[in-house]
Amino acid sequence: MRAWFLAAPLALVLAAFLLVPLAMLVAVSFYDYDSFRLIPDFVTTNYVEVFGSMVTWRTYGKTFFFAGITWAITLLVGFWVAYYLAFVVEGTGKRTVLFLLCTIPFWTSNLIRMIAWVPFLGRNGLANRALQGAGITDQPLEFLLFSEFAVVLAFVHLYTLFMVVPIFNTMMRVDRRLIEAAVDAGAGFWRVLWFVILPLCKPGIAIGSIFVIVLVMGDFVTVRLMSGGQSASVGLMISNQISLLQYPAAAANAVVLLIVVLMMVAAILRIVDIRKEL
Amino acid sequence: MPGRLGRGLLTALFVAFVLFLYGPTLTIVVLSFQGPDGGLTFPMNGVSLHWFRRLFERQAVGDFGASITRSLALAAMVTLATVVISLAAGMAFRRRFVGSAALFYLTITSLILPSILVGLGIGLAFNQAEIDTHWWGSALGAQLTWTLPFGLLIMLAVFNRFDGAWEEAARDLGATSWQSFAHVVLPIVAPSVIGIALFGFTLSFDEFARTMLTAGTDNTLPLEILGMTTTVTTPVLYALGTASTLVSFLAIGLALALLWRARRQRA
Amino acid sequence: MTDKTKMTLGRRGALALAGAAVGSGTITGFPTIWAQNIRDITLRQVGTGVSGLNAIAEQCKRDTGITLQLTVMDTDALAQRIATQSRTFDIADVEYMTTKKTYPVGTMQAIEKRRITNADKIVPIFTSGRLTPTSQVAQGTAPHTVGFVANRLATAFEPTQTEWMTLIPTIYNADTLGIRPDLISRPIRNWKDLVDPAFRGKASIVNVPNIGIMDAAMVMESAGQLRYIDKGNMTRAEIDRTTAFLIDLKRQGHFRAFWKTFDESVNLMASGEVIIQSMWSPAVAAVRSRGIACVYQPLEEGYRAWGGGLGIARHVSGLQLDAAYEYLNWYLSGWVGAYLNRQGYYSAVLETARTQMSAPEWDFWMEGKPAAADILAPDGRVMERAGTVRDGGSFTERMGRVSCWNSVMNEERYMVQKWNEFIAA
Repeated sequence: MRAWFLAAPLALVLAAFLLVPLAMLVAVSFYDYDSFRLIPDFVTTNYVEVFGSMVTWRTYGKTFFFAGITWAITLLVGFWVAYYLAFVVEGTGKRTVLFLLCTIPFWTSNLIRMIAWVPFLGRNGLANRALQGAGITDQPLEFLLFSEFAVVLAFVHLYTLFMVVPIFNTMMRVDRRLIEAAVDAGAGFWRVLWFVILPLCKPGIAIGSIFVIVLVMGDFVTVRLMSGGQSASVGLMISNQISLLQYPAAAANAVVLLIVVLMMVAAILRIVDIRKEL
Repeated sequence: MPGRLGRGLLTALFVAFVLFLYGPTLTIVVLSFQGPDGGLTFPMNGVSLHWFRRLFERQAVGDFGASITRSLALAAMVTLATVVISLAAGMAFRRRFVGSAALFYLTITSLILPSILVGLGIGLAFNQAEIDTHWWGSALGAQLTWTLPFGLLIMLAVFNRFDGAWEEAARDLGATSWQSFAHVVLPIVAPSVIGIALFGFTLSFDEFARTMLTAGTDNTLPLEILGMTTTVTTPVLYALGTASTLVSFLAIGLALALLWRARRQRA
Repeated sequence: MTDKTKMTLGRRGALALAGAAVGSGTITGFPTIWAQNIRDITLRQVGTGVSGLNAIAEQCKRDTGITLQLTVMDTDALAQRIATQSRTFDIADVEYMTTKKTYPVGTMQAIEKRRITNADKIVPIFTSGRLTPTSQVAQGTAPHTVGFVANRLATAFEPTQTEWMTLIPTIYNADTLGIRPDLISRPIRNWKDLVDPAFRGKASIVNVPNIGIMDAAMVMESAGQLRYIDKGNMTRAEIDRTTAFLIDLKRQGHFRAFWKTFDESVNLMASGEVIIQSMWSPAVAAVRSRGIACVYQPLEEGYRAWGGGLGIARHVSGLQLDAAYEYLNWYLSGWVGAYLNRQGYYSAVLETARTQMSAPEWDFWMEGKPAAADILAPDGRVMERAGTVRDGGSFTERMGRVSCWNSVMNEERYMVQKWNEFIAA
């Protein structure tokens, strides 16, 4: 009873603002449409078009590619940053300051930051001029902007913190006595890391991974802007269809995306059941 | 624990990470001092404070003041709601209850569903029900479907291995469940609650995909900026970025100074 | 234009006539007896930043007392708003291309021509599709094909002029390639120059399927690759050929990036990432105002044009509807027209706009003559030095050479699939 009462606000918000739109979405995904209007109906054409098109498969391939690379990099970087904050930095105050320091860039609108990537990474940008000035390159590096490299770079920029926070949270809950015991038993740094810290951080890693994968799989802005519109993602495909008022096609695509990502999340939860370890 | 070399390497990594995070910000700061004839990209066309002045004048298109006010108010509401709702739900999820798995997966779904479709769906639903969309109504709900999953998942990570013995001790001493929550649980999870608030604020303040079709007549700041990019934009956008970074630094510095003073007085 | 004047229109005749009409006092400016009770009305207008200008709202308040509450958004969001949330606005400032898709949804109401004072003076492009009686109707979604319906609530477009208009035309322009003459040494004359291998990695087109495909079609025709039956309404085979051509170019790395918003096109050009791309005239002006050489290059095959106008949401009624009509009438009465003309766009009723422009301004922007004095931007800065000639020349030279309009095709669904394929390739 008490649990229900506590969970009720969450359930209510999600029912009103998620279940209703979701139900509409599923219904619309079976509608027919032409250039001008939706035709309420029950047709599977939209799904046939989603699965029957090579574009879908190629786009999913590319999206998985972005998600995989971004996940690996954010995990690697995020884990060590979290480790630094949890085990090297001492004192809550100092940690808070460092966290805030990492958050401030995100309080400038993303749209403005996205514009700023052009003068940062472009042919005449800060990065290229620094590289040329330091004598590392003598030609501007073109791949820095409007490329897959740029897309991944922006994702890492945007989402590493989403990995850091949950991992940091679980690291802070690691009982320091366990580490001391391991060290006393003669375990070196890497052994402690592998056999003590890493297993205990699994829930944090899982949650961070869910954040990053979900964010990348659904993205439609970063991919377009950083690839200069030359690369596709599932989110972008859906947003294109929405902008042309092809709601049924977008809805069908979204339902498929939803199922795919839910399966990915379920797989992560199979490896690490974050709820069982509550 | 890492040795000296390890610590040094980790510090270097962290510094590099922070520098990377500030890359675009740095570009924004530099370019916000563009001359009056300068644009949003290099080369610099002179150096001036022109765009900071223009920030406070009427823009050709759009209105910063009104949209910032709306965005701040909305972000404050979202932050508060996110903290309260996810804290409550986090407490609930400490035990399994009927429907908990369903609610958990619903929350995950909320995170996964492409933002533009959530916005479109809510907009359509409101339109069908003939309820007007407003930034303080439908957009608030739309943003909560975005911030709550983050709040809940962080809360789950926090209550993960949370020692129930402390609460039992409190109850044995005769504390009501509210007292044990307020005096035992809350202080322990407080840092994470601040974390959720920070997440909620940051996510809401910058959200536009879900807000686009749910904000009704008035624009929030990201929507206003998006609208402004449909015509000639100027480094006034960068001036806004620089100013908001500066204000953030000042606000945080001030908060820390007050905290430090309070702590010293207590000591 | 009346039927009589239409008969005598020459290349610049329209403008001369407009001038004569102003001179002879037949135009009295906008009606000045606004109903007093309209002064308290607020109209909520949605549109893009192109014409959602604060200066217009301020002037409107001064002249009519009507409070115009502007909300700016991008083209995509605007289409969603009109189709799904028409209750959040009263007036929509929207492109004809978008209207082809959104008007049939039934969220707007038609505008009664007889209540629009200057309706007969609207440039004939919007009514008959022909700038002069002898000119060709351009391909694509020409505004007059989606400009009229049978009655106030009808949603099917009428092929000929009626008394009910879907939009009151307000703004339009002809787009072509923008180039950086400092980085391109040879002359650019044709659309096909966009795909010259010399510009590999430094070219761009618009990443909006309905517009980008038209750019591609102009290039294909110019390069002699394909002769379209009607490039504004391609067949599936034509769409296949066009996207295959684009995919091939993309694989060769010909494009540096695709732009979607006005602002992106300016930044790509100003930063030197791109040196040749399809572009809007005011975007070229914006690059140039930063001291960077940029030319809006007229091409032999002509221009790709677009147009927009103001529509009234279906829910608007009573006094508010009266105010909406007053606002539309005010919009065409000259001040806004002049304001838009001065930014490099064109206004729908030229003769009223002319009354609000100085002679050097009119000659520079509309007649294609060398600027007699410095041409100033709305904020008072010098935009073009005295002696400069506008790229592309006069109004009739530019709007008279429109080859196609931004288009919504019958095979739109198929075209978008193919476009997605191109982006994913």
